Amino acid sequence: MTGDPRPLEQPTLTDNYLTYTRGFLSWALTLDHKRIGLMYLCSVLLAFLLGGIFALLVRTQLLVPEGLIMDQDDYNQAFTLHGGIMVFLVIIPSTPAALGNFVLPIMLGAKDVAFPRLNLMSYYLWVIGAIFMVYSIFGGGLDTGWTFYTPYSIDQNSAMGGVIPAVTGAFILGFSSIFTGMNFIVTIHRLRPKGMTWFRMPLFLWSIYATAVIQVLATPVLGITLALLAVERAFGIGIFDPTLGGDPVLYQHFFWFYSHPAVYIMILPAMGIVSELIAVHSHRHIFGYSFIAWSSVAIAMFSFIVWGHHMFTSGQSPLVNVVFSFITFSVAIPSAVKVFNWLATMYKGAISWNTPMLYGMGFIFLFVIGGLTGLYLGTLSTDIHLHDTYFVVAHFHYVMMGSALIGFIGGLHHWWPKMIGKMYNENAGRVAFVLFFIGYNMTFFTQFMLGSHGMPRRYATYPADAGFQMYHIISTIGSYMMAIAFFMMAAYFISSIFGGRRAAANPWGGRSLEWQCTSPPPHDNFSEQPEVGDCYDFSVLRWDEATQGYVWREDVDRPGEKSHA
Amino acid sequence: MSIFGFLATVKLGEATSGGGFWMPEGASTVAAEVDEVFYFINNINYFFFALCTFVLVYFAIKYRLKPNHHSGFSHDAPTHNTPLELTWSIVPLFLVGVMFWLGMDGYLRLNESPEDAYPVSVTGQKWSWTFQHPEYGVTEAGELTVPLGRPVRLLMTSSDVLHSLFIPAFRVKNDVVPGRYSSLWFEATRPGQYRLYCSEYCGKDHSKMLAVVNVLPEEEFQAQLGKLAREYEDIEDRDLPVYALTRLYNRCASCHSLDGKSGTGPSFKGLWERTKNGTTAFTDGSTLADYMRPGGEFEVPENYIRDSILNPQHYIVQNYLGAMPTFKGQLKERQIDALVLMIKNMDRLVDEQGNPIESPDLGDADISTGAGQ
Ligand code: HEC
Ligand SMILES: [Cu+2]
Ligand SMILES: [Cu+2]
Repeated sequence: MTGDPRPLEQPTLTDNYLTYTRGFLSWALTLDHKRIGLMYLCSVLLAFLLGGIFALLVRTQLLVPEGLIMDQDDYNQAFTLHGGIMVFLVIIPSTPAALGNFVLPIMLGAKDVAFPRLNLMSYYLWVIGAIFMVYSIFGGGLDTGWTFYTPYSIDQNSAMGGVIPAVTGAFILGFSSIFTGMNFIVTIHRLRPKGMTWFRMPLFLWSIYATAVIQVLATPVLGITLALLAVERAFGIGIFDPTLGGDPVLYQHFFWFYSHPAVYIMILPAMGIVSELIAVHSHRHIFGYSFIAWSSVAIAMFSFIVWGHHMFTSGQSPLVNVVFSFITFSVAIPSAVKVFNWLATMYKGAISWNTPMLYGMGFIFLFVIGGLTGLYLGTLSTDIHLHDTYFVVAHFHYVMMGSALIGFIGGLHHWWPKMIGKMYNENAGRVAFVLFFIGYNMTFFTQFMLGSHGMPRRYATYPADAGFQMYHIISTIGSYMMAIAFFMMAAYFISSIFGGRRAAANPWGGRSLEWQCTSPPPHDNFSEQPEVGDCYDFSVLRWDEATQGYVWREDVDRPGEKSHA
Repeated sequence: MSIFGFLATVKLGEATSGGGFWMPEGASTVAAEVDEVFYFINNINYFFFALCTFVLVYFAIKYRLKPNHHSGFSHDAPTHNTPLELTWSIVPLFLVGVMFWLGMDGYLRLNESPEDAYPVSVTGQKWSWTFQHPEYGVTEAGELTVPLGRPVRLLMTSSDVLHSLFIPAFRVKNDVVPGRYSSLWFEATRPGQYRLYCSEYCGKDHSKMLAVVNVLPEEEFQAQLGKLAREYEDIEDRDLPVYALTRLYNRCASCHSLDGKSGTGPSFKGLWERTKNGTTAFTDGSTLADYMRPGGEFEVPENYIRDSILNPQHYIVQNYLGAMPTFKGQLKERQIDALVLMIKNMDRLVDEQGNPIESPDLGDADISTGAGQ
């Protein structure tokens, strides 16, 4: 040991990407992936607020059987916009585009993504797509459900006038998603640093990679489908319209050919985040690394051949149904094993109950429920009863919100100190989590019983004597609790920006490269390319009380550094 | 209603409509089978849910980071264990294999309708159900009468958009698709009334597209259908308007009000006045009067009402969309007559607010349907 301080030990703040340049244009035209990530984050959260308001309207309406606040037409728009906004504007871009953009290049020790200009273009495509989507509310209204099923959506006499703006919006958002995916694939292939082989990548990168592959392969199908839909609605050329010899069910095949993989565009990145959260906050090497990595890829591939399970009652042939049911079950296994791997990672760990870890554990709990209830839906005879009821609504909220969105929120808590350079109030974070978690289960668990007792989805009113109301009331109260929890989050995040404690470079004890630069990172991320080690070996770190962060142990060599002996 | 008002109306005990916590009481032969598979999966799920939750909570507490023990994390805990990983892959694989098999088996039986099933033709249209019994020549709307203990096969189609016919108590559901037929079958095992829902989103009144399945023991069933078969045959011409209002109007009610408020379609109130005077304007700029000249299509104004019911896309009333489905083939001649007479005599049948009058005075009502003139 020499006594001299090591410069890399606790990196000093040289410059800061947030204040590197100033002025509106320096943000609007930025090519810095971190700034683009942050702009995505703000935009996605704004969209989340809007989608959340529609969700609360829907829940409030259902407090009474005859509907409390809206007429049928308004209700139909409320649930359509809730679904459309949450899927296309929030969940799909949340983790890859917002967090991924920020974290991915730094995790690779790179200066930026492979194509920074394309990255900025993705962001603006998102903005334009979002404008079209929201415009559909004013441009005639949108009441098709987020699935745009034909022939309802193409029938000028049925669906409201906002269909074409809305599908145009979704079309443009699709390109945003494709470009992001391409960018990430190239970045991961080309910009990995020396020493980071594929199987030394943090698992978050594996999941983003698998997601990007789906984005690039599946999204074009959605684009073409929606283009056909718009043409059909405007000119009536007879693809989906049965009165012109078209086939309305064909649309469902096209739609789910994208939208089932899209389920994994939403959940895979969250699984990647959770792999990081569980390992880092348990300070314990991830269990079954290569299985988790491969299972992401396996899930991505399988996701393309199970779309028919959304259509068991659509009238497709029984043989087709049997085949889709079979393949669907085979996707269950990689997901199940991921859960076991996460649990095994906690075994003999040193688990800190930080807010991000609470979300990690919350994810496991909710994902288990979401996954297990999927089994009733993959099973043919029970799905016939449960399809298109609240059971399905509950199931996919457990997966989309309870898992995908919770992963995102957990990741946000995990990387917030890195992004902003400030710590949020840890106790407020825990309280908000508990409130959210209880509210969440009140809202959605009740919906399983609603559905199995026969309550169909997308109902503005329901029979008063069917025994549904009790469940709806509990569900609505739960949704209000979640709303309060989200406002708490907004409050402590925002106040952390102004009054939060400075974040150390490595507040949680992570080993991946983003924890080796300052919080917030400098404009160029690293002054020299960092050395790569085992990103799940936490034994080399120790807690440093002075900086309130983890630092390299003095008695252990850094990778690439000569021994001091 | 006040926020607290409705809370008082909720009956706690009625959280479930009969049956268990998970499934409502079944009333068909397949229900028991479906429930069996459901509870099989349920038991496996309880086990895995309990296991995962227990392990999660146990580890979270047991291996909780001790205060002041923020360093010296061990790197010796296992990072993989092949036998363990194989076990937890293969056991679930086996279990889901069983689930798949049970589900497929049940489904294939749910799909094969018995040869001798009692046939019913179903039409879904925005936003009501029509059930035709070919063996009796009877058409029902909003209510489906079926025999107890005999397989019933529904042959279904839609006259507009997608719908889906769902009877929770029977555990059956199938989409109703325009331009093609789909089918489902069931055999009711308990007499009584069961709810029938539309479960595929179909627009504005999707949540009002409900019907009741009325399961009757064989003799009562035959008696009931015999009665329905003669229903409008036996009616005096003079009673047709009331018959239409009580038995047929429910198929128009989702779009046509009786009190003058316009909905998806124009209100029936004042409709006849407009028609008689030819003042109704169409989207193409013409008015009804243009077609009422001698020799014109609607020289007899009653024919316009007929035509509106049978060919609704023909002339579209101004400020409305062509949203009305055709009733061609779903109503008998005499029922169409009844509707025409109902619309003609609307102001005698309902009061100012659109509420039906108890026993309307139709003594001097105009009951010519325009036919043969
Ligand atoms: C799905 C909604 C819907 C249903 C159900 C419906 N209609 Fe209509 N109806 C309309 C609409 C919309 C119009 C106006 C556009 C048009 O002229 O086709 C209309 C127009 C009419 C007109 C002409 C009105 C006028 O002002 O000239 C008549 C008559 C009529 N309907 C009768 C009926 C009868 C009788 C039934 C029930 C057996 C019925 N409709 C069921 C939607 C509906
Ligand atoms: Cu799917
Ligand atoms: Cu419907």
